[in-house]
Amino acid sequence: MIERTVKQSNSCNLRQRTLVTIIIAFILLIGIILSGALIGPEKLGVNLQLRNIPPSFAHLFGTDWLGRDMLARTFKGLALSFGVGLTAACISTIIALVLSLLSSVNKAMDAVITWLIDLFLSMPHIVILILISFAAGGGFKGVVIGLALTHWPSLTRLLRAEVLQLKNMNYVAVSKSLGKSRLWIARHHILPHLIPQLIVGFVLLFPHAILHEAAITFLGFGLSAEAPAIGIILSESMRYLATGMWWLAFFPGLSLLAMVGIFDLLGRNIRRLIDPFHSQKL
Amino acid sequence: MKQWNKLMILGVVIVLLSILSACSEQDKEPPTATDTKTDELVLAIGGEPDEGFDPTTGWGQYGSPLFQSTLLKYDENFNVQNDLAKDYSVSDDGLEWTIKLRDDVKFSDGEDLTADDVVFTYKTAKKSGSIIDLSNMDRIEMLDSHSVKITLKKPQSTFIYLLTTIGIVPEHAYDDSYNENPIGSGPFQLVQWSKGQQLIVEANPYYYGKKPYFKKLTFLFLSEDAAFAAAKSGEADVVSVPPTFANEDVAGMHLVELESVDNRGIMFPYVPAGEETKDGYPIGNDVTSDTAIRKAINIAVDREALVDGVLEGYGTPAYTVADNLPWWNPETVIKDNNTEKAKQMLEEAGWTENESGVREKDGLKATFTLLYPAGDQIRQSLSIAFADMIKHLGINVETKGASWNELEKLKHSNPVMMGWGSHNPLEIYNLFSSKTRGQGFYNSNYYSNPVVDKYMSKAMHATSQEEANTYWKKAQWDGKTGFSAKGDASWVWLVNLTHLYFVRNDLAIGDQKIQPHGHGWPVTDFIEKWHWKE
Repeated sequence: MIERTVKQSNSCNLRQRTLVTIIIAFILLIGIILSGALIGPEKLGVNLQLRNIPPSFAHLFGTDWLGRDMLARTFKGLALSFGVGLTAACISTIIALVLSLLSSVNKAMDAVITWLIDLFLSMPHIVILILISFAAGGGFKGVVIGLALTHWPSLTRLLRAEVLQLKNMNYVAVSKSLGKSRLWIARHHILPHLIPQLIVGFVLLFPHAILHEAAITFLGFGLSAEAPAIGIILSESMRYLATGMWWLAFFPGLSLLAMVGIFDLLGRNIRRLIDPFHSQKL
Repeated sequence: MKQWNKLMILGVVIVLLSILSACSEQDKEPPTATDTKTDELVLAIGGEPDEGFDPTTGWGQYGSPLFQSTLLKYDENFNVQNDLAKDYSVSDDGLEWTIKLRDDVKFSDGEDLTADDVVFTYKTAKKSGSIIDLSNMDRIEMLDSHSVKITLKKPQSTFIYLLTTIGIVPEHAYDDSYNENPIGSGPFQLVQWSKGQQLIVEANPYYYGKKPYFKKLTFLFLSEDAAFAAAKSGEADVVSVPPTFANEDVAGMHLVELESVDNRGIMFPYVPAGEETKDGYPIGNDVTSDTAIRKAINIAVDREALVDGVLEGYGTPAYTVADNLPWWNPETVIKDNNTEKAKQMLEEAGWTENESGVREKDGLKATFTLLYPAGDQIRQSLSIAFADMIKHLGINVETKGASWNELEKLKHSNPVMMGWGSHNPLEIYNLFSSKTRGQGFYNSNYYSNPVVDKYMSKAMHATSQEEANTYWKKAQWDGKTGFSAKGDASWVWLVNLTHLYFVRNDLAIGDQKIQPHGHGWPVTDFIEKWHWKE
C-alpha cells in the first residue's frame, strides 16, 4: 500500500532506489579504501622542490611544506581511518551484543548493565576516549582500544530493549515451557531478530569511530606524527594556516566529512532495506 | 548521538580557536611602541625560563643574564672583555686565577657589589648540582674587598667561559625565592613576572655600564603563531619567528637574520648492540656502528637542499657542533650530495643491495629508526627529508617522534635528531669524551676515540685560549682521525638554524655574535646598545 503511494512518476520503487543508493555508496567507499591502499610509499615521499604548491592539476589537493602530495596523503589517511573505524566498530558491536544478551539473564545482571551504559553515557565521550587510549599506551593500539571500549553503550541500549521485548514473546514462552535451554533460546529466537539491528548499528558506528579517531589524533593523543591520519594532517596544518596555506586543512577536512557522510547514507539505507519497521519510526 | 558527536568535534575546534584568541587577547594589554617613539619595547622572543632567573642554577647559560652581570664577557667577535672584573691574571701553571673587581658597582637595590658576593655566587653554584659544572674549582677566596682568587684542581682552559656566563648574585638578598625575585648588577631589574604570560623589566638605575636607551621592556611569552599575530597587529617590536613565517610581509617590520651555531644533526650509536646501561636501557646499534654507513650518509646527504627545503633558506649547512666559532676546524667541511661516492663506499664495505633495493651485509639489513622529539616541527621535517634523501643509498630509515622521556630510554640504541651549539668548547668535550659516555644527553651514542680524548684533555688543560683552540681543532680532524665527518663521523650534522626576528623598521639592534642553541634570550646580549634610528 505504502509503496504504491510513494511510487509516482519515478520508474523504480523505493526498494530499488534504496538498493541503488547502497550500491553507489558502497562503490564509493571501496574506491576510497582501495585507492588509499594502492598508494605506495613513493607517492607519499618528500619532494623539497615542490613545496607549498596550491591546488593545481598536477596536485589536486596541493602539496605541504615538505612537498608531499596532499591528495595521496588524504586518501592514505582515509584508508587508515577506515581501518581504525572497522576494527573499533567490530569490537564495539561484539561488546554490545554480548552485553545485551547478558542483560536478559536475570534482573541483577540487567541492572548492572544498565548502570554501565548510564555510566559511560554520562561522561563526555572524548574525555573517556582520551583516558582509555592514554592508559592503553597510546599509538595505534591505544586509539583502537579507546574507540572500541567507548562506542558500545548506545547500541547496547537499543539491543537490550529489543531483547527484553523478544523475551516476552509467546514463542519464547512456548520454547521455555518445552524445556529448551537459555542458550538454545538465545541462539534460535533472539539472535536472528537482533541481526538486522546489529548490522545497521555496526555501519552507523563507523562514522562515530572515524570522527573520534580524527578528533583524538588532532588533539595529539593518538597515532604518531608520521602516520598520515586525517587528524594529524589537520593539526599539522594549523601551523601553516597563518601563512595562508588553506588547502592543507580544507581538502582533508572535506574528504573526511564526505566519507563520514557516505557511511551515514549507507547505514540509513541498509536500515531502510532490512529493518523497515524501525526505520519508519525514526 | 550522531549529531552530538559532530557537535563534539565542532566544540573541540571552537575551544581550540578560543584558546588561541584568548592568547592573542592578552597581548593587547601591554603598551605598544608603534606610534610614538617611547623608551619602552615589547618583545615576543619566546624562551620563558621555567627555573626562574637564578644564575647559580643555570640562568644565562645560553645568552645574557639581563638582571645580573658577569665577571667577563664576550664582544661581538668572541674576544673576552672585562665586565665586573677590572683585571684578571692566571698563574703560569694555570691553576690560580686572580680577579680584581670594579669598585663602583652597585646592585639594583643600591648595595655595593663586593668580593663577598662573587665568592658566595661561585660557592652556591658549585653546590647547586645544576648544569653549571664547577667540579674542577677547588676553592674560591676573597683577597680583599674587591679581589678574589680561584684555585682549580687541574688547569682548565674552558674555565674562562664559566666566568663569562655566571651572573653574580647578592649574598644579602639571596634566598629560596631569588629565582623569582632576582636582584643583580645587570642593565635591567625585574618589575613583574606573570608566569606563562609576560615579564616586565625596567632599567637598573645603578648600572655601571652604558645606560640602556630603553627604560622598560616587556617580554611576552607567546606560542609561535600568537607571536606572529602580535607582530602583524603591531603589538610587539621584536618577535622571533620560525622559518615558516619568515617570508611573510609584516607592515612596519623587517626580518633580521642572525647566524647561529644552533645546529641540528643526527647522533648515531657508535658501538654494536649488546650492552645495557645501569637502568637497563639497550646500548648500541649494529647498523650505525659501521663506520662505512655513517661516512656514506655524511657524504650522501644534501645539506644545502635541507637548508632550502626545510628551513626556507634560513640556515647554513653544518659540519660540526661548533661551526664558525674560534675553536672550529674549517677543514671539517666536506663535499656532500655525492651519492655515487657514498654508494661506492658502501659497496667496498660489503653492503650490497638486495632485490628490494635495501642494502645488506652478512644478512644484516641497512635499516634503522630515526627518533626526534615529537612536537618539534623543524626536527620532524629534517628527519623525514633526511630519510627520503638516503633511501637512494639503499639505507631504509623509519622516522618516529618520541617524547623526551622515551628518548631517554632509546637514545643509546637509536639515532636521534639532536641540537646543540654553545659558546663554550666544553660542550665538545661533553659530547665526544670517553668519560662522558652515557651521561645525560651528552655522549649518548657511546663515542670513544683515544686520540680524540688525548687532544681534548690537552685542550682542557691548556693555559692559553690559542693553545686550547688548536687542540680542539685537532680533536675534530688532525689529518688522520677526529670526531668530525672526515674521521669517525659519529654524527651527521645537518644544518645550523638562522635565528629569525621581525624587528620594527626604525629599531637598531646593532651587530650580534653568533647565536647559541635556543633557550634564553641571546639576542638581548647587547640590549644596552639598542636604540631608535634617528
